[in-house]
Amino acid sequence: MLTVLLVVLGFCAGMLGALTGIGGGVLLTPILALHFGIPIRQAIGTSLVAVITTSAASSSVHLQRHTTDIRLGMTLELATSFGAAVTAYLVGYFNRNALEGLFAGFLLYSAITILSRGGKVKDADETTEFINGEAVIPPYEPERYPLGMTASLVAGALSGLLGIGGGPIKVPVMYIFMNVPLMVATATSNFMIGVTGAASAIVYYRRGDILVQYAAPLAVGVFLGSLLGARLAPRVHTRIVVYLLVAVMLYLSGHLFIHLLRGWL
Amino acid sequence: MSQVREPGFDRAVAMVLRVGAFSCFFIMLAGLIVGLFVTGRIPVQIEHAGILLMLATPVVRVIVACFLFFREKDRKYGWISLGVLVILMLSLVFGIGEH
Repeated sequence: MLTVLLVVLGFCAGMLGALTGIGGGVLLTPILALHFGIPIRQAIGTSLVAVITTSAASSSVHLQRHTTDIRLGMTLELATSFGAAVTAYLVGYFNRNALEGLFAGFLLYSAITILSRGGKVKDADETTEFINGEAVIPPYEPERYPLGMTASLVAGALSGLLGIGGGPIKVPVMYIFMNVPLMVATATSNFMIGVTGAASAIVYYRRGDILVQYAAPLAVGVFLGSLLGARLAPRVHTRIVVYLLVAVMLYLSGHLFIHLLRGWL
Repeated sequence: MSQVREPGFDRAVAMVLRVGAFSCFFIMLAGLIVGLFVTGRIPVQIEHAGILLMLATPVVRVIVACFLFFREKDRKYGWISLGVLVILMLSLVFGIGEH
């Protein structure tokens, strides 16, 4: 019964992720911690498996559309995977409350960021032209590598610490500062998540922080959910889904804070 | 240098990710289905294999890209890929930090 519940949970998280562009890991970790009684460190390690699965499935699609800049991705991965491995290692010495507090803060911050942008998660890219269904990408040359590498280091560190993809940091940096077209920035960020996630997931795995009996049904659900979500995306009013997502994030963040306070009282 | 279109290259890397993701999905699904009928270690071990394959997929992707860059005589990015691979290996070697 638990297995079925986890598959359904993964399915919903994967679908929401594919519809809104926000990775499912942000939702799975606190739900595992709060509603399944899993220590937050194991919840992070377990949902990392789902994050890697989503990245592999979706970036294989982006690659076939030739919107991923493998060279840029590989270069920035030097920074993201290093940051992720280091913080994943350090998490072993973190206290559980600190980690829960960080996660609650991150959820609240993400929810407020989405709301302040009027429910827009993916920046609409009106400049992209399509010819025969294929995206036409204008020629570009990535700029300001030092800035990009620094931002990637931060995104990677957050990924190793909280088990998230870090897209909300990498995409704007590539797009605004590195002169990369938005479509390429999104695809490349997605592409990088797999390796970044693996760098930290390997550390979590060796520490015994990936719970196989939870990770497998979640990953199966997430895989199906994100495939269906990607197909539905053009036909669904994203804004409603985004507000639903924000509501879930606010609820989980509040729940985590209450959970923390109860521990102290 | 950073032109996006490299059809053959993209296809090879996409293939690695696709094969990895789909085979992990089916292995884990098999583990879940076996778990409906059998209790004990066997279904868990099948699921475990799926998870290990999932963790290995991005590593294989880096190895394949590294190989392709060197074969295209694009040494700069070959070395960069090798650097990413080294970081992944280091996280495997030093990956125990139990408090």
